[in-house]
Amino acid sequence: MNDAEVLTEESENKIVKLPLLAALVALVGLGDAIYLTIHHYSGEQVPCGLTGGCEMVLNSQYAEIAGIPLSIFGAAAYFIAFSLAILAAFGNRLMWRLFGIQTALMAVYSVYLIYLQAFVISNSQVPFAERFCQFCLLSALTTLTLFMTALISRFWRS
Amino acid sequence: MSNKNKGNINLPLVIIGLVLIVAVVGGLWAYNQSKKPVKGTAGIAGNNNTNSGSKETPTRPVQTPAYTSVLGAQPPNMLGSPNASVTVEEFADFQCPTCGLKHPMMKEIISTYGSRIKFIFRDFPLQIPAHDKAYDAAVAAEAAGLQGSNKFWEMQNMLFTNQQIWTANPDYRKVWEDYASKIGLDVERFKNDMAGLNAKARVDADLARGRALNVNSTPSIYVNGILIPFEQMNIDAMRQIIDAELAKAKNNSQPTPNAPSNPAPAEPKK
Repeated sequence: MNDAEVLTEESENKIVKLPLLAALVALVGLGDAIYLTIHHYSGEQVPCGLTGGCEMVLNSQYAEIAGIPLSIFGAAAYFIAFSLAILAAFGNRLMWRLFGIQTALMAVYSVYLIYLQAFVISNSQVPFAERFCQFCLLSALTTLTLFMTALISRFWRS
Repeated sequence: MSNKNKGNINLPLVIIGLVLIVAVVGGLWAYNQSKKPVKGTAGIAGNNNTNSGSKETPTRPVQTPAYTSVLGAQPPNMLGSPNASVTVEEFADFQCPTCGLKHPMMKEIISTYGSRIKFIFRDFPLQIPAHDKAYDAAVAAEAAGLQGSNKFWEMQNMLFTNQQIWTANPDYRKVWEDYASKIGLDVERFKNDMAGLNAKARVDADLARGRALNVNSTPSIYVNGILIPFEQMNIDAMRQIIDAELAKAKNNSQPTPNAPSNPAPAEPKK
């Protein structure tokens, strides 16, 4: 706590750049998750030019937890990450630590979701490159980027 | 901390609050927007808002037909006339409930238009856990087709109309063998063909064509290469679209051949 306050004083009145970047990345993830949520409820097809596996992945049994689309959890997680990053950007060191913990958990879950797309949802008849959903990959990318910003800030300074 | 940051603490909270509001309101707005065209475009045709003044349905924006050099099973499962100016190509999955629901509509279209259209049915079993029997079902239909092309259509009809029965039955292959004997197949040969490579190769060829066209859900219906949006997959909208295509072909007096041009990236192997 003491430590946190010292750092707060240091960065007072100047916005910390790395958390600000993280906040922007979290917004991208939030937009992606909201987009997928809308498509989940409107039942419309998502354009799937890059990867081809969208419909398969988004309609799979892993796309929902207890009837709630995964993208809603994603949107909530990105919103929390965004809030923590913004608070950190204005100097709240504790929030930045929470951000680190949260994005670490998100990164682990993202890796699991990529594994599901690569090896579980499709069977061996689907070419490897066509097993993925690009919007899910974008989400994995934003999550991993968020985690990287947390890692960089942790090891850069100390 | 409390009095020093008093001025600062509000701004981040304001930003967070704004983002929350924008996310919720924007999300709901976009959801409503995505719903609107479903209601709006279903059946409106004939208002000449395009400067061309042709008989094109304005509900279908000008689209480049989807073409691929991946031909699918040869010869395709086809009804109607091979020389018709309008090609209706359906990619379907025998285990997909929507495909079962749209089956009567497709039959109606086939019987309404007869030789004025060329109807092609493509197997596109989705490879998802919920559709564990879909691939085998497509193989069953193709195996039936190896005993005469009309047998394919009889089996296809059997599979769609009895979809809920066999999908719920763990011993579904037995059920299909019953269908095979009902439509007058040589059941032993049907069983052999189901295990053999010919029927599977046809399913795989259709799958490859679907993938090359970026089919990612079933049913996907193409009229002269243009994908019909889901909200227009009803008999009225489909008839409007097909009528418009027939009229267009008549005006041009030279039927658009279905020869694949502009080949999409092909994927020969899987």
